[in-house]
Amino acid sequence: MLIVVDPQSGVPIYRQLMDQIRFHIASGLLRPGDELPSTRSLSAELGVNPMTISKAYSFLERDAVIERRPGRPLIVAELAAGEMREEKMDQLRETLAPSVTVIRQLGVPREEALAVFGEMLRDEENDTEEER
Amino acid sequence: MKKLLEFDGVHRAYDRGVDVLHGVTFSLNAKEIVGLLGVNGAGKTTLIRIAMGMLEAQSGSVRVFGMDPRECPVDVKRRVGYVSEDQILPPFLRVRDIIDIHRGLFPTWDEEMARDLASTFSLSPEAKISKLSKGQARRVALVCAAAHRPELLLLDEPAGGLDPAARREFLETSIRLLNEAGTTILFSSHYMQDVERVAERVVMLHDGEVLIDRSLDDLREGHCVALVPAGDGVTKQRLLGIEGCLGVRERTDALHAVFALSPERSAAAIATELDVSNVNCRQVALEEMFIELVGGQS
Repeated sequence: MLIVVDPQSGVPIYRQLMDQIRFHIASGLLRPGDELPSTRSLSAELGVNPMTISKAYSFLERDAVIERRPGRPLIVAELAAGEMREEKMDQLRETLAPSVTVIRQLGVPREEALAVFGEMLRDEENDTEEER
Repeated sequence: MKKLLEFDGVHRAYDRGVDVLHGVTFSLNAKEIVGLLGVNGAGKTTLIRIAMGMLEAQSGSVRVFGMDPRECPVDVKRRVGYVSEDQILPPFLRVRDIIDIHRGLFPTWDEEMARDLASTFSLSPEAKISKLSKGQARRVALVCAAAHRPELLLLDEPAGGLDPAARREFLETSIRLLNEAGTTILFSSHYMQDVERVAERVVMLHDGEVLIDRSLDDLREGHCVALVPAGDGVTKQRLLGIEGCLGVRERTDALHAVFALSPERSAAAIATELDVSNVNCRQVALEEMFIELVGGQS
């Protein structure tokens, strides 16, 4: 699975795992019904304590993001269309939160910050057009 | 829960009255991986040697599987794996001979695991110990410590001086032992990234005592470093007086304070007590936490 652990970041490893799995689901890389690696194999693959993996899995299960089935691999849960959208918006909010802090610290007015963001989105869209 | 290893008020001084440990108390539950941290000379090696029965505690007690390692050396050692940084293997023997000796000593020896590890580590059975590199010799020691599927693995700075790939092999072997044999592990290390990967809990020794004994997640989520600009009324003493402040380090134009509180609560406490607002409080990785805690108390 496409997961990278960075022990240097201040974020606990179980959180990093949760965030990345949620991101993969929101971005469509992981789809409902897809199987997740076992605690053991993922811990061996990442060189991470198995308790950390099972902690991340338990929290994701509690949040109904993944499903446990007795004696079988964990799978990505079915999400209703509305829930999927909500999940994407959550991801986006989380990603943008640090930018909000920076905007405050730099003292950039709201309108200017929004304009910069709009510009960046447009530039990115144009670049993608050209590549096609 | 069953305690596998217990230190209770362990005290040890060396001959010239130099205190190394004075009153160290903590324990390990079954199937736990605990990282033992501390600056050089903090007493990590002394403590591990006491657990192995190689040194005696002058007061206090140590129990391994409920036994005193000095009274039941064989019963304890058969169930423990041990690797130290300066482990000396007889230089005139071959890798095969060392492994043969260990196979004979440990009734629980798992030949398949021994062969498997030896091939993972690319160890040649015919190689003379004297011809091995430092990393290769340490790998031989790890095979010997792991292949009898010990219930407790004591690793004293096992990765010291090893390259990143070899260090990762040590971590992976440790996790494999935990997964396959339910091994409990205590390891000392200066590589904080390694500790963050595999340890569930850390115990930090400082000035002969346990300064911190917390789960890693707890340490990261419930602790932060506050960067307080130096200024009127901001002193080390006043910061230390705030509840939850564990240590303060004076830098050129700021004070760095470690709090056992979330960043929000730390900032609020500093605002209330010192009347300084907008203090930058952030969660940090273990390495920074370590430096902030023990780098500034001397």
